[in-house]
Amino acid sequence: VRFRDRLVSTLRAVAPVLEVPGVLVGGSEVPNLLEVGAAATLVVSQDVDLVVPVGALEAVKAQLGRITRLAPSTEEPSVWLPRGDATELIEVNFIGMDPAIVDPIDTYELTDERLPLMVFGPLSLLAPGTVLEIDGVRIPLPRPAGLALEKLVTDRTGEKGDRDLLVVAGLLLTMSPEDLADMEVTYGRLPAEMRHQVRSNLSILSLLDARPHMPDPRPQRARVDALLRRLEQP
Amino acid sequence: VKAIRARARVQRWSFRQRHLAHGAWERFRLALAHAERAFVVDEATAGALRAEGCAVDVAGCDLEPPRVIMWISAERAKELPSARELPLRLSADLLASTHLVLVPFTDQP
Repeated sequence: VRFRDRLVSTLRAVAPVLEVPGVLVGGSEVPNLLEVGAAATLVVSQDVDLVVPVGALEAVKAQLGRITRLAPSTEEPSVWLPRGDATELIEVNFIGMDPAIVDPIDTYELTDERLPLMVFGPLSLLAPGTVLEIDGVRIPLPRPAGLALEKLVTDRTGEKGDRDLLVVAGLLLTMSPEDLADMEVTYGRLPAEMRHQVRSNLSILSLLDARPHMPDPRPQRARVDALLRRLEQP
Repeated sequence: VKAIRARARVQRWSFRQRHLAHGAWERFRLALAHAERAFVVDEATAGALRAEGCAVDVAGCDLEPPRVIMWISAERAKELPSARELPLRLSADLLASTHLVLVPFTDQP
């Protein structure tokens, strides 16, 4: 089974949640979905993030009963795992977005018996973007600029950090001049510390090597250079 | 949550230290990010380039030992007999080089 089919099947399985206004598919699968025909050749991870605005939690919980092919993990109920007869699906992570916070240090856990959420500050940089329709599944995506910045404002270290930066490499492949302008504007609104982190992470991305089955950052170096120059302007 | 907040605190600390060693490292890395190609040269070649009027980029000055970084054109780089091109990765080879000449990106995408 191709990864693309696993990804789309998983999103079909959680389609009731994707119908809730404000819910977005986030994280590393977005570059995969933005490829032509959602080709999903830029496999970075084997899970998919559903971003839930904290204000939409009750509406999302009301839809959970319609999800039949995945079930919450016993250790971490915000992670939903494929049921025994749905092994072609991948894991789903429910994560929270609170527009009142943006700094990683403000990240908190929203306790809830049915669907507890880790609410990550930088997720509030996401803004609703394109809604894809793939094989009959409606997939709301964030605008690429916010997603790239969300990946870039957090301290990224080690293997997981590199993978997150390679998501940005994948996004740069598809970003239009309007997306880059959008990124510049949103970047300009960030506090100085977070702007510094963005530039620092872009420089790390520029010097990363290629990895199998992940977006190759090397052809993106010129784009990273141009982006850095735009962001470094006073 | 504790781990995430701890990482964020470290990130803040790093930001405050940016004018010290940590900042020097980041300036060096940013210079490399702006380079399309990098060459390591010997001290004599670096001296000759300086005599030609090539300015030394301060991005390498605060490292220990200091790295001499100069920006030149791709054409000029080809003329340097001792120049050895290095891939622009954070490799041991590149980090150990004390005299680096960098070629900037010219065609902006």
